[in-house]
Amino acid sequence: MRKLSLAAVLLTGSAISTPALAEGHLQIVDEPLELTIQMNHARYPIYEEDWPVEQAAREMTNIHLLNDTVGANMRTDENTGRTEALNLMLASGSIPDIVGSSRIRDFVNQFGPEGAFVPLNDLIAEHAPNIAAYYAERPDIEAAVKAADGQMYYIPYLPDGKYGRAYWIRTDWLEALDLEVPQTVEEYEAVLRAFKTQDPNGNGIADEVPFFARQWPELIRLVTLWDGRAHGSDTYHDFLVEDGQVSHGYIGEGYRDGISNLARWYEEGLIDAEIFTRGSSARDFLLSENLGGSTHDWFASTGGYNSLSSEIDGFAFEAMAPPASVGGNRVEEHRRILVKPDGWAIGYTNEHVVETIKYFDFWFTEEGRRLANFGVEGTHYEMVDGEPIFTQEFLDSGPVNRSLYQAGAQLQARGYFQDYSYEVQWTNEFALAGIELYDQGDYLIPDFLGVAFTADEQQVYDRTWGSIRDYMLERQQSWILGNGDVMADWDAYLAQLDQLGWQELMGVMQSAYDRQYGD
Amino acid sequence: MSGVNLSGIVKAYGALQVVHGIDLTVAEKEFVVLVGPSGCGKSTTLRMIAGLEEITDGDLTIHDRRVNRVAPKDRDVAMVFQNYALYPHLNVADNMAFGLRIRKMPKAEIKTTIADVAEILGLTPYLDRRPADLSGGQRQRVAMGRAIVRHPKVFLFDEPLSNLDAKLRTQMRAEIKRLHNRLGVTSVYVTHDQVEAMTLADRIVVMNDGRIEQVGTPMELFNNPANTFVAGFLGSPPMNQMKGMLTETGAKIGDAEIKINGAVAGHAGRDVIVGIRPEHVTLSDEGQSSALPISLDLVEPLGSEALLHARHGEDTLVFKADTNGDIAHLSGVGAVHVPSHLVKLFDAETGRALNLGT
Amino acid sequence: MVDENTNAGGQPLEEALIKAREAQRRVTDGRWVRLFDHFKREWQIYAMLLPTIIWFVVFLYKPMYGLQIAFKDYSIFRGVADSPWIGWEHFQTLFANDQFIRAVRNTITISFYNLLFGFPAPIILALMFNEVMHATYKRTAQTIVYLPHFISSVIIAGIVITAFSPTAGIINTFIGWLGFDPVYFLTQPQWFRPIFVGTGIWQEAGFGSIVFLAAIAGVNPSLYESAVVDGANRWQMMWKITIPSILPTILIMLIIRIGNVMEVSFELVILLYQPSTYETADVVNTWIYRQGLQSGQYDLAAAAGLFNAVVAFVLVMTANTLSRRFSRTSLW
Repeated sequence: MRKLSLAAVLLTGSAISTPALAEGHLQIVDEPLELTIQMNHARYPIYEEDWPVEQAAREMTNIHLLNDTVGANMRTDENTGRTEALNLMLASGSIPDIVGSSRIRDFVNQFGPEGAFVPLNDLIAEHAPNIAAYYAERPDIEAAVKAADGQMYYIPYLPDGKYGRAYWIRTDWLEALDLEVPQTVEEYEAVLRAFKTQDPNGNGIADEVPFFARQWPELIRLVTLWDGRAHGSDTYHDFLVEDGQVSHGYIGEGYRDGISNLARWYEEGLIDAEIFTRGSSARDFLLSENLGGSTHDWFASTGGYNSLSSEIDGFAFEAMAPPASVGGNRVEEHRRILVKPDGWAIGYTNEHVVETIKYFDFWFTEEGRRLANFGVEGTHYEMVDGEPIFTQEFLDSGPVNRSLYQAGAQLQARGYFQDYSYEVQWTNEFALAGIELYDQGDYLIPDFLGVAFTADEQQVYDRTWGSIRDYMLERQQSWILGNGDVMADWDAYLAQLDQLGWQELMGVMQSAYDRQYGD
Repeated sequence: MSGVNLSGIVKAYGALQVVHGIDLTVAEKEFVVLVGPSGCGKSTTLRMIAGLEEITDGDLTIHDRRVNRVAPKDRDVAMVFQNYALYPHLNVADNMAFGLRIRKMPKAEIKTTIADVAEILGLTPYLDRRPADLSGGQRQRVAMGRAIVRHPKVFLFDEPLSNLDAKLRTQMRAEIKRLHNRLGVTSVYVTHDQVEAMTLADRIVVMNDGRIEQVGTPMELFNNPANTFVAGFLGSPPMNQMKGMLTETGAKIGDAEIKINGAVAGHAGRDVIVGIRPEHVTLSDEGQSSALPISLDLVEPLGSEALLHARHGEDTLVFKADTNGDIAHLSGVGAVHVPSHLVKLFDAETGRALNLGT
Repeated sequence: MVDENTNAGGQPLEEALIKAREAQRRVTDGRWVRLFDHFKREWQIYAMLLPTIIWFVVFLYKPMYGLQIAFKDYSIFRGVADSPWIGWEHFQTLFANDQFIRAVRNTITISFYNLLFGFPAPIILALMFNEVMHATYKRTAQTIVYLPHFISSVIIAGIVITAFSPTAGIINTFIGWLGFDPVYFLTQPQWFRPIFVGTGIWQEAGFGSIVFLAAIAGVNPSLYESAVVDGANRWQMMWKITIPSILPTILIMLIIRIGNVMEVSFELVILLYQPSTYETADVVNTWIYRQGLQSGQYDLAAAAGLFNAVVAFVLVMTANTLSRRFSRTSLW
């Protein structure tokens, strides 16, 4: 923190010494204008006025944001994406001028039409040339952002880069057992079995855990190896779209076959026996104990475990291309989603909506985008050959993402367009090699970008989806654990889903989808 | 055959000795009262007899059987507790039947026994009631009933009347005495109330500081207290005690001198404590021979009698006098006359009674 | 009030005087004046009462205002007052939902097991402690059994998950020694209830025993001495004296416990359950949490909560009435 304040002081000093910057073309108002903001995210629960990036933005735009965050609650639910801080804010009865949060889309799409947030379509068209230009290029994303009434109520965080997770395998174990990197699901199974039975870690005990995952839904993703689908987006158990039809992975035959095979794998011990309860420390524990063989996890963080080679002789955990499914398809179901439900919106009591939308637009200008991505020039990065390059000092000051958050950059509770080149500069070699490998094939499939409901549709969704999801997960786990046979239970399973209102749910999903993305 | 015999009984809690070797024989059918101030070891002694406390040293026999190591239930004693120890969840009949059931007495027999005892104690109408619905006196009777039904060799009473009000206490005292006369069971009774001790006991055991001060019938103890402690404990109000010095004919107390019968002649000059019972004096005018001049502080009328609180020099004294229906004549009292044969003398150092050859 | 009785002298003088005096007081001191006098005289007692009253009003009575959202289409933005009434719709939704019905059934089942096994546990523990003579041993043992109470549910769940782990857990290690295959307890519906109830006992029995130990300490020691002289052994004393003596405490605790039947400690359920064990583990409160709070359906959650409260209220009333009738012990 101390370092930060020092940087802030330096920055202020430099800003004063270069008044030209303050009077530049980015300035939105002549006299400083103060706006209140609620900003909440798991990693930065409140808005901090002395973030260097914010101070720079203040100098550039003359707009001063004041922290007005209610309930700095860090909880965000992974499954439903609700943040309690937003609910608290609404319950408190006052909405600040700007509200920025992770998982804000469903929230503003519900309460925006009720009048809590300012509709943005006209404002963008008239006052936000940079945002409008982006949407002109990506109408699909513009559609994804809109609420059921056709209005946009928030400016999203737009991630850049394609890849998120990949298949990882202990290539040193493959070598030790004289095996090749598996190219098909059959080979993958054979390799996992070899890990289980041939003692690749050489301790004489069959304690290897061939496949493990930090989040058990990653196990379900393996159904893609039998041409099934699991999660339609980076939200687990999400819907998916096939040829303009909304559907769900958990009712497909490929899913059924996949679960049947995964149950067999589980029975055989190819999957971590504790997959459902081991939790987030699974990767850390199983890799450092020289037990884990393969997983499906993020490029950057998983690649970092290769530093374990200093402790475990020959340790090499490398990305591999998705094995070909039984139908011969290589599919990587997970990807960086094109638009996040994170970002910021304008509260209905805001008296300066034009200035605010201009301020939002500022972050989509070249300077604003660079500021949001890289931090402050001279402090966090230098321009080299026209490219922003992080200073070595900054890269060395600890985990880069954390340092960026602490500077106020890469805040996903802010609507901005990410620049992937920020990440390439410090991604480890194993991850980069993996990304290169994935770039050679065309493994990614389109994401489901979500829909916005009308009040009536929302009611149907609320009434049915929770029960249906619970039932799906309940059966899914049971089948994998061997309590029941998916093949025998399948028809009854589908019948039960129908009884829980599956058709009705699909009906509202489809009507919402058609409204949002249809021509 | 003795009922209960204690010889050299010692009780110590670790290094702290609270009963220092007691010798006492309670004859069969005798009613013995242990009396003394709180902390004198009387309750501890009783609890050792009951078997609720271990005996550190010495021998305890009940009906000539040594019972030091015998469990309470096999000593054939029954105990009545200060707070009655009635089971609040059981009715009167079940309370009395408790010990019998534990001993697996046949049901029919239990029934008749309880009916008999309830009749004796006047509890028959209350057999179905719980203790909470009884008066203090009734509870006390149930507690005794519970002891009586057992037909024990020895009754032990641990201050059984101290939770009752004064009127009930007098009533129950008489009842206990009658019961003892009727049942004739060896009884050891602990109290701190000397009136109870005097009225109930065949023999009284006065205890102090874990030792027996004196054993005897109530009148023996009253008439011939063995020491100043016993003298000060028994009697209501207790005996007045004054420092004095023997002369050829009596004792000099402050400036005054009272006459004493007997052979004091040879002991002139000896320091003594002079004991005078409050009721043994007659009122007189000043100047009479063998009269003790007093200055009167207060007259407390009790009805037929009155208590006179007075002073002689440093000593505070209490005397009893007849009122004859009026206390006005008592206000002018300036001296008391002490009959010379009723004056008690105690050694000034040891407190023991002096017998100078009467 | 002049009638024959008075004339006949049936009313004693004293009584008449009292009446006259009271009548006079009624005239001079009005009700409010007397109330004022009362407060002036006893204000310290009311001052002591005040924090509790404030607590009740702020945390229990004021929130009752929000109960109405169970009958409304509630929007946080519109607020409680401005959301439209929709009658019993949320309750219809609830009872049309199989999972809610299942959650109710699970709640009652788990509570029943909790009552059956969890309620006697602290009593038995207290009775056992009461029999322990060695002071140091007793103190140490008590501290050890109290400890789990002070551990947060998150840690407890971690301990349970570790203990029942199929690969490293102590339970499965033991099962392995006996020559059986490891069991993945926490994913099997039939194991959830025993593990949950057992965990609850392990966590709370020790602390719960304190109230019973206190009750036992309140038993007049001379009852035991009397029983000793009467020839009772320790077992008989426990059954015939200790247990009957603490029976009122037991009943009161039981009534309170019955009032909490719908309140299965749902943090622990959430931490221990899995989709594969929903079948036996999903209770009303976890259902409310998933469907209501996580999905922002506060109105539906309020309806479920209200249902819970009504059931609990009826149960407590019933238990209290039965207890008062049959054992003369009751909460009120």
